[in-house]
Amino acid sequence: MKKISSKVGGLKNLMFIGALLVLGLILLLDIYLVDKILAPLEYFYLFFAILVIFYGLYPLYVNRRLTKYYWERTKRHRLAVFGLSFIAFLIAVAIIGPFLTQDPTKVNFEEKNLPPLGFSIQQSVYDLKTGEFVTRETPGTWKHLLGTDDKGRDMLAMLVSGARVSLQVGLLATFIAILIGTIMGVLSAYLGGWADMGLMRFTDIMMTFPFFLLLVFIIFIFGPSLAFIILAIGLTGWTGTARLVRSEALSLRTREFIMASKSLGASDARIIFRHLIPNVLSSIIVIATLSIPAVILAEAALSFIGLGDPTVTSWGVVLHAGQRTLDIAWWVAVEPGIMLFLTVLAFNFLGDGIRDAFDPRSQL
Amino acid sequence: MNNTVLEVKHLKTYFFTRSGVVKAVDGISFGLRKGESLCLVGESGCGKTATALSILRLIDSPPGRIIGGEILYHGEDLLRCSSERLRQIRGNRIAMIFQDPQTSLNPVFTIGDQVAEQIKLHLRLKHKPAMERALYLMEQVGIPQARERMKDYPHQFSGGMKQRVMIAAALSCEPEILIADEPTTALDTTIKAQILDIFRDLKQERNMSILFITHDLGTVAGIADRIIVMYGGRVAEAGTALDIFDQPKHPYTHGLFNCLPNISAGRNRLTPIPGMIPSLIDPPEGCIFNPRCEHRMPICSEERPKEVVLSGEHFVACHLYS
Amino acid sequence: MKRGGLQGYIIKRLIYAALIAFGVVTITFFLLRLGPSSPADKYLANMSARTQDPAQVVAAIEARYGLDKPVYEQYIDYVVNLARGDWGWSFSTSMPVMKLIQRHWVYSFQLILLSMLFSASLGILIGIYSAVKQYTRTDYLATLFSFIGISIPNFWLGIMLILVFSVQLGWFKTFYDTGLPMFSLANLKALILPVITLGTGMMAGYTRYARSATLDNLRKEFVKTARAKGLPERVVIGKHVFRNAILPVITIIMFDLSGVVFGGAYLTEIIFGIPGLGRISFNAIFAGDYPVVVTITLIGALVVLLTNLATDIVYTWLDPRIRYD
Repeated sequence: MKKISSKVGGLKNLMFIGALLVLGLILLLDIYLVDKILAPLEYFYLFFAILVIFYGLYPLYVNRRLTKYYWERTKRHRLAVFGLSFIAFLIAVAIIGPFLTQDPTKVNFEEKNLPPLGFSIQQSVYDLKTGEFVTRETPGTWKHLLGTDDKGRDMLAMLVSGARVSLQVGLLATFIAILIGTIMGVLSAYLGGWADMGLMRFTDIMMTFPFFLLLVFIIFIFGPSLAFIILAIGLTGWTGTARLVRSEALSLRTREFIMASKSLGASDARIIFRHLIPNVLSSIIVIATLSIPAVILAEAALSFIGLGDPTVTSWGVVLHAGQRTLDIAWWVAVEPGIMLFLTVLAFNFLGDGIRDAFDPRSQL
Repeated sequence: MNNTVLEVKHLKTYFFTRSGVVKAVDGISFGLRKGESLCLVGESGCGKTATALSILRLIDSPPGRIIGGEILYHGEDLLRCSSERLRQIRGNRIAMIFQDPQTSLNPVFTIGDQVAEQIKLHLRLKHKPAMERALYLMEQVGIPQARERMKDYPHQFSGGMKQRVMIAAALSCEPEILIADEPTTALDTTIKAQILDIFRDLKQERNMSILFITHDLGTVAGIADRIIVMYGGRVAEAGTALDIFDQPKHPYTHGLFNCLPNISAGRNRLTPIPGMIPSLIDPPEGCIFNPRCEHRMPICSEERPKEVVLSGEHFVACHLYS
Repeated sequence: MKRGGLQGYIIKRLIYAALIAFGVVTITFFLLRLGPSSPADKYLANMSARTQDPAQVVAAIEARYGLDKPVYEQYIDYVVNLARGDWGWSFSTSMPVMKLIQRHWVYSFQLILLSMLFSASLGILIGIYSAVKQYTRTDYLATLFSFIGISIPNFWLGIMLILVFSVQLGWFKTFYDTGLPMFSLANLKALILPVITLGTGMMAGYTRYARSATLDNLRKEFVKTARAKGLPERVVIGKHVFRNAILPVITIIMFDLSGVVFGGAYLTEIIFGIPGLGRISFNAIFAGDYPVVVTITLIGALVVLLTNLATDIVYTWLDPRIRYD
């Protein structure tokens, strides 16, 4: 039994390294031989997907009993189940949606400022025949279920595109932040002494910057592209994780099972990867779920003030357009906001549920 | 019996938890006379503390609730009086001392403030005279350099000193009744003896009625006039200190004595009571003690024993004597 | 003896704060140098309509700001100038950055101060009340509202408030009126929507923290002691529980400053057109006016640093258990 499981573990590591190598090979080809196999962001996705499969889904599958236990505990949190369902729905929309909706960037002044289906407004329209402005009743149409903005772009299509952007940013930036934070925290706790001092003072300095101001500052200097925004949020948002992981790792370091494996001559790397990280994982998962909404909001805010990637349609961009036409077309501002609100709410509910599920002291 | 100051009748306090109803106090009755010290004895989890807290309606609710009985203070039912009236009695006529002095004092206020608090409240003294009285009380319970130490915070005091502070605060309004819930349990043995001395003095000098709660029969010996042995939320045996110490009747009381180290009797092995404290959610049928009892009879698991009067105030709830 | 300990502690905190400030300045400098384009280019991009020779302009700007010197000399200049109070020249408004800040900081200050007062007082009150009434309908409602409050994007909330109260109902102006005297009812009225916009999320957060801190303390033994003394419930909660529950909440409020508050104020100022530091920074970004952007980022960090320092010192007074080491 033991042998098989350790073999499977070895196989898993081999496959993991293999997958990373393939990705690296494609990247090398991309840079030196062929032009543009994948966009920079797509490398992120693939890397992210590989990590999720090997360190997220695979362990969940292997430890089915534990998975079931946590699922049972999370399930009792009704709001968390709502959150999870909404997030699942959003992911489905983000993946399939763009193939079903119209082109979110298609401008059509003939159909500008159409209200959502079921609503109707009075607006002055330029009449092509007479060459005059006439006030006309414009009802919502089936073609544009959620209406159009002042350039005639389909709201539904823009919202679907925005869902994709928000999830990309939320998941990837959080992932980067958590990765950096975990490495910093574990290193700091494990190395101790001057290294710990240095890393923690650096964390303190980074924490002193107001998060959003630093983000704006970095985007201002380096320019707004979606990949860079993700990177910037990741590079600035790791401080909380680093502190948390450090303090948990410090308290774990003196516990018996780690002492025991140390006395058995386990290497530092082994102790970190086999003992420390799995034990701080639950805290990491909770902090990740709760920081995704913050990240989504940060991206939306950046797009909203015009510091977002100008080539993508995100909720923040639509909201910005909506603020300009607040007196004519209220829905343009209302709809992306509702999506943003529900998404953030869903992640907060889920995060709270997971935290309670992982907390053995909480009565569920 | 007209010198009875406090009478507890058929008190029932239940805790409504997720896993079921805990019958912590299940129909207890006793009386406390003027100047008398009455000890409630039993293992942890037998409902002693719940009884003490019920008297001043200090049970945390939820999950706890007093579901029946009467608590008569000079004939006035404390379970049915207004919360305003209850407040006038709490701390003023009936004072209470808790088990753990480490957590019973508020960490962010000075010792002096906390002792003077109920003096200001009940005796309606201004700040200065109240502090003077607090100082006097702290000297009385033997806190050295009390004047300086009044400005200190609880974390600067040792456990024994904190318990002295708690006693000083409890005595501040000269209460008629003092309820002490395991006041020595959290303390070292030497400190314990000093605190017990304070209680003995209180009884002799102030003619105060004391309800003393403990799990340790040894502590009781020096101060108890009467003893009530509790088991599983009910009274197992009650009587004068002499009755209980000389002629313990209930098998559980016997068990308690066998756990005590006793040098003079030449006993060198302590005999623990076999088995575990019963779950009060799903208590055994009949006599609660029957699963652990050496003298178990068929009737013990069928019928709840009635209280049998043996002599004067000595009674026992056990089928062996009915 | 105690006082000496406290003084030593404060001196230690001051030295530490100075070190962190130095780190903050260093990081901004290297971020600026790492940027793909030189600050001169940024300025030039916005001045391209001018007829001057671009190369000349670049050279002039670089000479003026010492950008032609080696990096380490630039770094020393940068630190020394900041320390001397010379925080640069704002291209777009043609005045020293410090003067620009002096003109505008008060708008941010009043917004943030009012929002913090509003959200902290209300949030703490609701949190404590909700904890005391745990498991009642009021408690569930408060918890639900705090969830909604922390999830609602504040810039969207601001727009919705404008949509309903300014556009539809016409109760307020859609833009903040800068001509009003600072201490007037009209100014207060003009700040109502911005304060709600900024304060709602903060309030929801404080409600949650105050609730859980109160619940923690309600179960403590000293609460029983206080009740056994015969204190009325409002004293038990308002004095004994409150003083203990407020400690962690204060930490959160101060911590929030670097997260929710500054980011939120930045956006709120942009939405309502309040000419505070956020709005100035926003304008400067689109004008390529980098000294302003740098200064405002630095000021944000310094304010966080000083409030952290102040919290540490206030804490020694609020929490007697704190040790000075």
